[in-house]
Amino acid sequence: MFSGLRERLQAARDRLGASIGAAAEASRPVAPAEPASPGKTGDAPQAAGPAKNPTLADKVKILIIDRELVVSEKDVSEALEELEMTLLESDVALPVADALIADIRAGLVGKHRKIGESVDALVVRALKSALLKVLGSGFDLPAYIKSHERPVKILFTGVNGTGKTTTVAKIGAYLKAQGFSVVIGAGDTYRAGAIEQIGVHAERLGIKVIEHKAGADPSAVLFDTVQYAQAHKTDVVLADTAGRFHTKANLMSQLDKIRRVMKPDLIVYVDEAVAGNDAVVRAAEFDRTVGADAIVLTKADMDSRGGAAISIAHTIGKPLLFLGTGQAYEDIIPFEPGAIVDELLGGAA
Amino acid sequence: MMDSLSDALKDALKKLAGKAVVDRAAVDELVKNLQRALLSADVNVKLVMELSKAIRTRSLDEDVPKNTNVREHVLRIVYQELVRLVYATADVKLEPQVILMAGLQGSGKTTTTAKIARYFQKKGMKVGVICADTFRPGAYDQLATLCTKINVPCFGDPKATDALKIVKEGLVAIKDREVIIVDTQGRHALEPDLIQEIIDLNAITKATHRWLVIDAALGQQASEQARRFHEAIGIDGVIITKMDGTAKGGGALSAVAETKSGIVFIGAGETIENLERFDANGFISRLLGMGDLQALYEKVQEAQVSSEVDMEAMMKGHFTLRDMYKQLEALNKMGPLKQIMNMLPMGNMQLPEGVYDVTSTKMVRYRILMDSMTPQELDDPGIISSSRMQRIARGAGGTPEEVRELLKYYKMMHKTLKGLRGAGGGKFNMQRLMKRFSGMQ
Repeated sequence: MFSGLRERLQAARDRLGASIGAAAEASRPVAPAEPASPGKTGDAPQAAGPAKNPTLADKVKILIIDRELVVSEKDVSEALEELEMTLLESDVALPVADALIADIRAGLVGKHRKIGESVDALVVRALKSALLKVLGSGFDLPAYIKSHERPVKILFTGVNGTGKTTTVAKIGAYLKAQGFSVVIGAGDTYRAGAIEQIGVHAERLGIKVIEHKAGADPSAVLFDTVQYAQAHKTDVVLADTAGRFHTKANLMSQLDKIRRVMKPDLIVYVDEAVAGNDAVVRAAEFDRTVGADAIVLTKADMDSRGGAAISIAHTIGKPLLFLGTGQAYEDIIPFEPGAIVDELLGGAA
Repeated sequence: MMDSLSDALKDALKKLAGKAVVDRAAVDELVKNLQRALLSADVNVKLVMELSKAIRTRSLDEDVPKNTNVREHVLRIVYQELVRLVYATADVKLEPQVILMAGLQGSGKTTTTAKIARYFQKKGMKVGVICADTFRPGAYDQLATLCTKINVPCFGDPKATDALKIVKEGLVAIKDREVIIVDTQGRHALEPDLIQEIIDLNAITKATHRWLVIDAALGQQASEQARRFHEAIGIDGVIITKMDGTAKGGGALSAVAETKSGIVFIGAGETIENLERFDANGFISRLLGMGDLQALYEKVQEAQVSSEVDMEAMMKGHFTLRDMYKQLEALNKMGPLKQIMNMLPMGNMQLPEGVYDVTSTKMVRYRILMDSMTPQELDDPGIISSSRMQRIARGAGGTPEEVRELLKYYKMMHKTLKGLRGAGGGKFNMQRLMKRFSGMQ
């Protein structure tokens, strides 16, 4: 998964490393020609150029006294531009890519590097910290449920066709396997066939579904579901809802009503990994109108890039809960940012 | 975000104005801003690079035609290059045919299948639908429910597991139908079994058309997925769905480029009627977040500036209910109101928030109410008295309160436009608006 992004990031890492390395090379050959300084003390002027942050004097001083090199803006700008294109090709939305690049630049430029230290490590550190900052710390759902009063009510929201119903079924299966009792509320009363869809899933999984007729008020369905859970001491309520676009004010206020009626503990925003720049717009809008506590990203198997994960996480600053990776119930994996970032950067550093 | 992008684009265009020769730096800046706008609309990165290269080369190499200035010259090239991408024809013929629907999971195939069935039905064709989605629970129920609403036979079996068998049986069962649409299971290019299945489906249906359904929000994956689908079954048309959201649909552009086909339909709404033929100009305007590029282009051609909404009259203060009706009608085609207002060449005018709060259902109601009005009332809403309100409400099956609300909305729009006119200093005509928008002065 995300192998496309991984390859690209690694290529970018190599390029960044190479350009910083080249800059270092440029400053070194001068060293032997400098008679006043015995040994290997280098002379920076050749490489310094118009770098803004550290002054020339600083650079020389650092180089001579601390035996370190300073990374200048010039060293990395070209490679960072390429990295930005890489991010865009990987579906990271434009404003997010801009922010990430600025972050990585800030993490690299002006950094002192020991002459012996590898360029690679420096670059990886900058990339890694930028990515981790965006992806947050992940979210441990079983631990959350254990530490909260039952039933834990989870409301699923998102635009049409992102895979909310399938995700509800998968998470139901996942929680059941973890030993929790689950009830599903068939809150999508609008789309034709939606109630049948969740009904079949639940039957296969042996999970109770609370449903009303098509066209019923979803708030009522979900209220009943919560009532059922309280009466039967069920651990978790999974509330499915109809897909809706953030531009439809009436549907968004319906969602707001659902939230008021069922008082969810967690609102999970579901979007697909293949979404492009719009992912940012709609995630922000959902977060603004009904809120979002965590994110599930579906269809990650058809996407080898994963930019949407970065885009959405950056935009609303909420943790990713799960990744949907296929059509079977077990095709869902808890999102661990550390592991994912390590994988993206090839496990280095 | 999009606003700042289109502003940057306009600024870049402005810099080209008044130049005697094409300025390399100005063209570069325009191209750079164009790139950013297209990238944030999800157009494929490589496609953007090719496009911008072509625009740069042509702008610098081609001679500026007589009677046009540099800005118009460059604008024309930008427009031509963009249109070249989407103007491939994808004809919809009213003749017996089999249509195979293909696409990723959740792209909206089933809903679109029903919409297309409705489209052909309205054109007087006998339509039948086969549900070949044997995987997703509820898929058959969904399609059958939609088809029942429009009285179209739907063949399928929710318990079956073999899509090929269902389709074979279906083709026999509804062979008297002129147009047969086969809805398939969602799949993506990395699932070899499913790709093989659709190849087989294509073979046994001998499909006349193989249409790829693309979600407007699909990002850079669009190219790759479209290419694989095209390799498998030879896509000859693309349908963009979910255009009622804020997504720009740039992914569909990549898909069209990849399959060398055209965009057949656009889906923008959840009801079965929300399907339209593709309109290249509206699409490009939306892509760039810019005003009607074609109008500008046509001006360059010294052609009549045609606009659905009579801007000139509106600006003079003659904004009647008729104009509002036209606006509402145009609305569905272009997306949410806020976006359209941004597209209209009004510079940086801010509209009161209330104007946007009209939901799409209300829009429909308003139109119905206006249908119940007399021509005099439409031209001069001032004459609508309470007895007239009663009549209008009865005719539209509504209440006088609704009519009042409509008039209130109209007044708000009217006031806003009048305010705009005031800001321009009285004589505010279309020409000057255009100038202001594109920075020709």
